[in-house]
Amino acid sequence: MKIFRYFKDIFLGIYHLLQGMYIAFLNMVRSKITEKYPENRLKKVKMERFRGLLTMPHNAQNEHKCTACGICGINCPNGTIQVISKKVTDETGKEKRVLDRYLYDIGSCTFCALCTISCPQGAIDWSPEFEHTVFTRSKLVKQLNREGSSLEVKPKINNI
Amino acid sequence: MFSFSDLTHWIDSSLRLWMNDGWTLFVEFVLIGVMILVSYAVLALILILVERKVCAWMQCRLGPNRVGPWGLFQTGADMIKILLKEIVNINRSDKFLFRLASFIVILGSVLTFGALPFAKGLQVIDFNIGVFYLLAVSSLGVVGILLAGWASNSKYTMIGAMRSGAQLISYELSCGLALLSIVVLSGTMQLSEIVEQQSEMWFIFKGHVPAFIAFVIYMIAGHAETNRGPFDLPEAESELTAGYHTEYSGIQFGFFYLAEYMNMFIIAAIASTMFLGGWMPLHIPGWEGFNGAMDYIPSVVWFLAKTGFCIFMQLWVRWSFPRLRIDQLLRLEWKILMPVCLFNILLMALVVIL
Amino acid sequence: MPDTVNPENTPIVATGYANKPVVLTVSKDKFYETARSLRYGEELPDAEIHIPAEKYDYLIDVVGMDYGDSLGVIYYLSPSAQPEKVLALKTSTPEREQPELFSVQDLWESASVYEREVYDFFGIRFINHPDMRRIFLRADWKGFPLRKDYDADPAVNPVPLENELIADMERVPSVSIKMGDRVETISQLFEEDDYVVNFGPQHPAMHGVLHLRIALNGEIIKKIDPVFGYIHRGIEKMCESDTYPQILHLADRLDYLSGTMNRHAVCLCCEKALELEVPERAHYIRTIFDELTRIASHLLGWGCMCMDMGSITAFVYGMRDREKIMDVFEETAGGRLMANYNVIGGVAQDIHPNFQRRVKEMIPYIRKMLKEHHLLFTGNPIARGRMKNIGYMSREQAVSLGATGPSGRASGWHNDVRKIEPYAAYGKADFQEVLRTEGQTFDRYIIRLDEIEQSLRIIEQLIDNIPEGAYAAKTKAVIRLPEGEFFQRVENARGQFCVHITSKGDKSPYRVKFRSPSLTLVGALKAMATGAKVADLIMMGASLDDVIPCIDR
Repeated sequence: MKIFRYFKDIFLGIYHLLQGMYIAFLNMVRSKITEKYPENRLKKVKMERFRGLLTMPHNAQNEHKCTACGICGINCPNGTIQVISKKVTDETGKEKRVLDRYLYDIGSCTFCALCTISCPQGAIDWSPEFEHTVFTRSKLVKQLNREGSSLEVKPKINNI
Repeated sequence: MFSFSDLTHWIDSSLRLWMNDGWTLFVEFVLIGVMILVSYAVLALILILVERKVCAWMQCRLGPNRVGPWGLFQTGADMIKILLKEIVNINRSDKFLFRLASFIVILGSVLTFGALPFAKGLQVIDFNIGVFYLLAVSSLGVVGILLAGWASNSKYTMIGAMRSGAQLISYELSCGLALLSIVVLSGTMQLSEIVEQQSEMWFIFKGHVPAFIAFVIYMIAGHAETNRGPFDLPEAESELTAGYHTEYSGIQFGFFYLAEYMNMFIIAAIASTMFLGGWMPLHIPGWEGFNGAMDYIPSVVWFLAKTGFCIFMQLWVRWSFPRLRIDQLLRLEWKILMPVCLFNILLMALVVIL
Repeated sequence: MPDTVNPENTPIVATGYANKPVVLTVSKDKFYETARSLRYGEELPDAEIHIPAEKYDYLIDVVGMDYGDSLGVIYYLSPSAQPEKVLALKTSTPEREQPELFSVQDLWESASVYEREVYDFFGIRFINHPDMRRIFLRADWKGFPLRKDYDADPAVNPVPLENELIADMERVPSVSIKMGDRVETISQLFEEDDYVVNFGPQHPAMHGVLHLRIALNGEIIKKIDPVFGYIHRGIEKMCESDTYPQILHLADRLDYLSGTMNRHAVCLCCEKALELEVPERAHYIRTIFDELTRIASHLLGWGCMCMDMGSITAFVYGMRDREKIMDVFEETAGGRLMANYNVIGGVAQDIHPNFQRRVKEMIPYIRKMLKEHHLLFTGNPIARGRMKNIGYMSREQAVSLGATGPSGRASGWHNDVRKIEPYAAYGKADFQEVLRTEGQTFDRYIIRLDEIEQSLRIIEQLIDNIPEGAYAAKTKAVIRLPEGEFFQRVENARGQFCVHITSKGDKSPYRVKFRSPSLTLVGALKAMATGAKVADLIMMGASLDDVIPCIDR
C-alpha cells in the first residue's frame, strides 16, 4: 500500500511539525531568560566562590598577610604574579624581607587558582568581581597590596 | 465604509485646478512613487524589528531593548549604520552585473508591492490581469539572485545562486497553481474584483476545503519564494556562509535584506488578499448588526491585521524548523505540493460547478 | 599473562586497568609484520613471543618519543572485542638525521593522522604513508618541536607575516619502497580543474577553526582535505616545562566542553603513578562533575547540531539548559566553563552547601526539557529526513577509524571507558551504555540525548550518597612522579581521552601525550563524507561533534 503510506507520511509529518511549532509557541509565552545586565548589576547574586579577580584582603589596620615568599609566583603557570620585596631593618636591627609591591597581571591570568591553593599564609583570595574592562593593557596590571600596608603581626600563641 | 478613492479623486481634481493634464499626471506619479518607496522602507524597518522581537521571544530572549523604549528605534539605527557602511569592491567580479543584481532584486519586489490593494480604493493600479501581473513581476527576483551569485565570482555565491534558481523556479509553480484555484473560484484576475467578491464571505470559507488547501500550499510555496528558513538553502548559513549575497556589503547588502523582508510582506499580503478577503471586513451572511460593526473598522486596518497574521505564521515556521536539503526541497515541491495543487484545482472546479 | 614480554624494557605501569598492558618492543625491521599479525590476530613472526591471539583492531593512540639516543613510537592497541586489554607496541630507530619507520596506516585507518602528527613533532617519516605533510605546523616550519634537541629560538622560526601558500598545503610528499628501492614522490592533492571550496577556518558550521578543503562536483563532495593547526598552542611541549599541577589547567583547555573529564584523566594518571589513595568523597564528587559536564556538552552538541541544520531556536534552548549546569559549577568550583576543580589527590575545595539541592532541582528540569527537545526536533520530518540514511559508519569502520565515544557507540561499538574499566565512582552507579546499531547521523544525534538521560541517572544515584570525609588526599608540595610510563584513559563527552606520561622522576614530565577523541572523528568525517552532499557534510560534522582546540592541542 504505497499510496497509503504516502498519505500517512504526509499527515504524520504535519502532526510532528505542529508539535514543534507548539514548543516554539510555548517558549514564546514563557518568562524570558535574558539578563538585563547593567540594570541588574547591583541585584545580581554573585557566587562567593567565583574566581573573578585575585585580591589581597587587608584588615582594618591596613595589614595583609603576605610575607613576600613568592611561592604563588613560582606556582603560576603564566608568570602572572610578580612579587617585589624590599629589605627593611626593624627596631632590633635585624634585616627583614617585606612586601613592597604585589603585581598581578589579569591579562595573562587563566584563573587556575594554583596561587591561592599554594599560598602558605592564605594571604590572597578570589573576589567574584568580574568587570575588568579597561582601555589600555597596562591598566590590567594591578597592585594588590594597598599603599602603606604592612604585614599583619600574628598574635603570639602561648598555650601550646 | 471610507474609500480612499474619494481622497485620491479630491487630490486629482484639486491638482487639475492648478495645472494642465500632463503636469498633473507627472506630479501624481512622483507622489505615488515617493509614497510607495517610503512605505516600502518603513514597512521593512517595522518588519525587521517585528521579526527580531518574535524570534527572540520564541527563543526565551528579550530581543532588541536598548535603542529607544523596547528597542523601537533599533532598526532605524541599523538603517543609518548600513547606509554609512563602506561598499567593498570585489576583485575580479563583474562590476556592472554585481551592482545591477541588488537593484533587480529590489525592483521585483517594489513592482509587486505597488500593485497591492492596501485598502478600499488605495491601489496604485488595478489591472484586469492583476494576479498574473503579481506572479510575473515577483519572479523577477530570481534573475537578480542568479546575477548576484554569478557576478560575485565566488564559489559560495555560485552554489547559492544555483540552488536558488532551482528552488524559486520550482516553487513558482505551486504558487501560481494555488492562486489559480482562487481564480477558478472567483472567475476574475482583477484584484479589486476578487476583494469585492469576498464581501459576503472570505474565499477561504467560501471555497470550502480546496480553498483552505490552496491557502496552506500558497503559504508554504510563498515562504519558499522568500528564501527564508526552512527554505533558506540559497543562503544556508551553516553551509554557504551567506549564499548568494556573501560578497555584498553596505547598502547593496541592505537591498537584499530589505527585499527579503518585503517579499515576506508581499507573500503575506497576497495571501490575505486572495484568501482572507484583503481589506474586506469579516462579514457573516445574516448577521447584519455584526457586519455593520465590522465595517466601522477602517479597511487598511483589516488589511494590515490579516497580513500581520500571515507574517506571524511565517515567522513562527521560520523559527521552529530546520532547513531542508536541496533534494528534499525539490521532492516536497514536485512530489507533494504540485500533485496536491493540481488535484486541488480539479476539486475547486467541482466546488464551483456544484 | 606476562607483564612485559621484553625484559630489557621498562614496564608500563598499568593505570586504571584490571590488568597491566602488555608491552611489546620490536625492532624497526620486524615492526610492520608484528603490527599486521596483531591487527589480524595471527601468530607473531617472532616465535618466542606468545601473547593470546586477539584481533587488536583498535589503535588507541600513537605516541612519538624522543629517548635521547633514539627516536621511537609507542602504539597503544586494544582489541575491540575485549576492550579492557591494552597492548603497547614499541619500536624505535637510532637514526636522527633521517629517521624512517614503516607506516601502519593500511592496518588502522586512524594511524594516518597519528603518524602525520608524529612526523610533525619528531620528524619520523613513515614509509608507505601516502601523505607525509605536516599536520599542525606550517609547511615552512624549521625543526621538530618535540625533539629534545629542538632549537626554540624565535629567530629560527620567527612569527610569519605572510600567509601560508595554498600551493604549499597542496603539495603532498611521501616516501615509499617499491621493488626494494626507496622512492620519494611529491603529488598534488587536487586535480587541476577541481572546484575546491574552503569550509573554514572561519565558517559558521565549523565549531572552531577547522579548515576543510573540499573538491565539489556540483553538490557532491569528491574529496576532503582537513587542514589542522589553526589553534595549535603546543600544549604537549608546554607540559614538558610545567609542573604536574600546572599541566592540569592546560588539560582543561584542550576540549573545553569536557574540561572536567580531561582534568580527571590527568589527575588519575598522576595519582596512579604516585600510588595515592584518593578519598571516596572526592571520587563521588568527581563523578558527579564529570556527568554534569557531559550533560552540558551534549546539550550544547545537540544545540549546535540543530543550528547547523538551520534551527537556531533549538540552539538557544540547548544553551539555556546548559546555563543551569554552568551555574552549579560556578557555585561550587568557582569557574563556569573552566571549572578547575579536580586536583591531584581529590578536588580543589569541598562542595558548596547548596550543591546537592541545586543538582536535585536541576534533574527534573533537564528531564522535562529533554522531552521538549524531542518534540521540537527529533520527530520533525525535516530533521529526520536530513539525518536518516546519511553518514553511515559501520562498526568495523568505527573501530578502524578510532571513532570512540557516542559516535562509535552509535555504530554499535562497545567502547565506554566508564563500563570497560570503571574509574572513580562509576562502578557504584547503575547505568546503561547506550548502544545503537545503525551508525547513521540520526543515531549519533539520538544517542547524545539518550546519554543525557543516563548521566542524569548516574547523578541521581550518587548525589545523595556522597560519603563524608576528606575531599582531597594530602600531597607533597612539589609533586614528582616516579620514573616510568603511565597511561590512563577516561571517557569524555566525545570519546576516549587518554593521557600518556613519561616521567624521569623530575617535577615536570619528560613527555606528555593527550589522545584527542576529536582528531579521529575528523578522520571519520573524511571517510564518511566522500560522495555525500555538502549539506550532509555539515550534518555529519555536527553529529560527530568535534572540538577543534582538542584536535590541535
